[in-house]
Amino acid sequence: MMKEYFDGIVGGIEERIKNDPENASPRMKYALEVSRLGARLYGGSDRVAWCGVLAPFDVLSAFGVASCYVEFVGASLAASGMAGPMLEASEHEGHSPDTCAYHRAVVGAAGKGLMPTPDFLIATSCPCTAGVTTMENLARHFKKELFVLHIPQENTDSNVRYLTGQLEDMVEFVAKQTGQSVDWGAIGKAVTLSNQTSEFLTEIYDLAASVPSPVRSRDLRDFGVVMPLISGTQAALDTAKVFRDELRARVESGEGGIEDERLRLLWIQNRIQFKNPLEKILEQEHKAVVVVDELNSVTWDPVDPDDPLPGVAKRMLSSPFAGRIDARCDHLKKLVRKYKVDGVVNPCHWGCRQGTGARGLFADTLRNMDIPVLNLEVDCVDARSFAEGQLKTRIGAFCEMLAERARPA
Amino acid sequence: MTPLKNRAIGFTCSYTPISLIEAAGFSPYRILPVGDSEDQAGQWMHDNVCPHVKRVLDRTLGGDLPENLAGVVIINSCDAMRRLADAWRRADPSSRVICIDLPIRSDERSVDFYAGQLRELTDWLGAISGNTPGESDVSSAMARFQVLAEHFGRLRGYLAAGILTGGAARLQDLYNRCATRPVEASIDELEKIVADESSRAKGVPVYLFGNVMPDAQAMSLFESCGARVVVEDLCTGSRLFKPLMENDDDSDVFKVLAESLLTGVGCARTIDAAPGATAGNVLARAKAAGAKGVIGHTVKFCDPYIARMPGIREFMREAEMPFLMLEGDCTLRSIGQHRTRIEAFLEMIG
Ligand code: SF4
Ligand code: SF4
Repeated sequence: MMKEYFDGIVGGIEERIKNDPENASPRMKYALEVSRLGARLYGGSDRVAWCGVLAPFDVLSAFGVASCYVEFVGASLAASGMAGPMLEASEHEGHSPDTCAYHRAVVGAAGKGLMPTPDFLIATSCPCTAGVTTMENLARHFKKELFVLHIPQENTDSNVRYLTGQLEDMVEFVAKQTGQSVDWGAIGKAVTLSNQTSEFLTEIYDLAASVPSPVRSRDLRDFGVVMPLISGTQAALDTAKVFRDELRARVESGEGGIEDERLRLLWIQNRIQFKNPLEKILEQEHKAVVVVDELNSVTWDPVDPDDPLPGVAKRMLSSPFAGRIDARCDHLKKLVRKYKVDGVVNPCHWGCRQGTGARGLFADTLRNMDIPVLNLEVDCVDARSFAEGQLKTRIGAFCEMLAERARPA
Repeated sequence: MTPLKNRAIGFTCSYTPISLIEAAGFSPYRILPVGDSEDQAGQWMHDNVCPHVKRVLDRTLGGDLPENLAGVVIINSCDAMRRLADAWRRADPSSRVICIDLPIRSDERSVDFYAGQLRELTDWLGAISGNTPGESDVSSAMARFQVLAEHFGRLRGYLAAGILTGGAARLQDLYNRCATRPVEASIDELEKIVADESSRAKGVPVYLFGNVMPDAQAMSLFESCGARVVVEDLCTGSRLFKPLMENDDDSDVFKVLAESLLTGVGCARTIDAAPGATAGNVLARAKAAGAKGVIGHTVKFCDPYIARMPGIREFMREAEMPFLMLEGDCTLRSIGQHRTRIEAFLEMIG
């Protein structure tokens, strides 16, 4: 089912690009590469690793393993409209509807035999506890080896050493699981590609901050959290370059992502993954654009290709999700200023303790900056509880309120 | 609230190295999710965050903590705990809160890391007390807690044999009191408790495991339904007073303490070396205790436990061990709502 889904997207986009190469948008190229990863995961001929969100995908790509955080599968199930039966299946197995539906959808899919059996699994303690327990459940289900990366809170020298040591163990683990020897040259090459990709990402994010912003709400949706999946590859580098070129051209010509941009929004954490009209409503009815997602940011320094693991460790520790909430709030403050946002949308994804557990802390931070926040209270994966009418009304009221306020200097 | 004799350091998780608190001259004080503080945590956290953490935050915001609390140690054991530390610092910027990292596993690298966290905690405690405890202070505090752990081990033996007067409710009451006062007072009380061989408690023997259930009356409720809790494995119960490992002259006390805390019977937030081993451990302990059934209890929205319960249930079904899962919000009322289910379960296995 998912194989057909990803194959269908890949085939469709390739066809469109072939027929009309001039109009191949960056988003199309990005969707193509991400879907190609999906097709590899489900294709049956690649080695597969199911991972946690912060796993070092560039290092894994150097082993030729198709690796992916499982939440991506949850999101893809939602995007394809197939999450409902998976969620029901997991609930039928006794999984509580109070848990994060990214995980529940995956657990349901695994139970129905719709997740490929991985060669191994790598969990990461960041961003969430539920991610680790889900990986343990999957390892038990698939009867495969699980490696766990513990990512501490602070980005200190001793924590970098600790995480570097774990990454060394992980590299050994992957070598053992794949039956390969460690090719440090290939790892160095992969991190060089991710360094180069990061340079483009930095430019992309800077360009997106222009006024008017060259992006539409959907252009960079979840970009910062999905791009790492293909990092360490030429495809990621090419995709980032295409985006940079397109946004640069739009900025140079003064073209905004939408006409007559009036409101600029920051989106906390992840977007709603199933089809929904909210972004369209924001843009068409309120001239409001999501100019930045919380994770659309390069928070790390380039990684030394000759000694990659300490740099990879620092990169992981630099995630705004890893540390204290104050660090994450400082990150939000920087984004608010850089992107000159008028308001912030927090989906408050049901079941996400680390995210919703910080709801009041985000609101407090932003209140002190005089930036209004809209707490949506949605489940970003489970469309069954989506209250479209109510959300439309709330979004309308929020945008009206923002429009009445003076735009921040 | 009656002030404690000396200064106290609050804590909220059974992975807390209470020996270090004691070594630094403080009395460890477990901030249990009890009392009737007004719900104020909701202004910081969403409704779907675990009630354990929210009730602790309510107590803080409502001023329901000992006046002599000099600081609070929070363990980064799960997202909810991490957010508790964040919210506490924000809601009361003048408070001293430390949040130490807890590894996910218990291998050598994890033990070394946690030992480092314990050293940092010791320095933090020393900065508050003005006197950083040395290794010998830590060793002697560990020795005192080891005595306490042995007493609790003896009482758990009485409980399993049905010869502890007051049963599981009394044991829970003792856990609560020993978690909130100086260790010497606890040892004094526990060493006087003897078995009552004159009569054996009746009821269907059950094994109880889960996270947070501090109300002693919850145990009475189980017993009033016809259960006899023979062994409990709860965060607010036996897991807090685990036996510590041997500490000889050459060993690094912080490593010994770290290993003691990370190994043995753990909380569901710690990942087993073999995925899914928790279920096997529960079954083995239940069988060893002669339990006729297993009751799993979790507070709502606790990811580590609710994620594991379906696997445990399946495992118990395959092993033909009757299993009842309960979900609550740390209040007696929430357990009470399950009375009929508990009675039906006991009737079925009795
Ligand atoms: S939404 Fe929250 S709980 Fe779900 S995967 Fe993301 S961080 Fe984890
Ligand atoms: S009950 Fe569960 S979620 Fe709550 S603090 Fe304990 S481990 Fe964390």
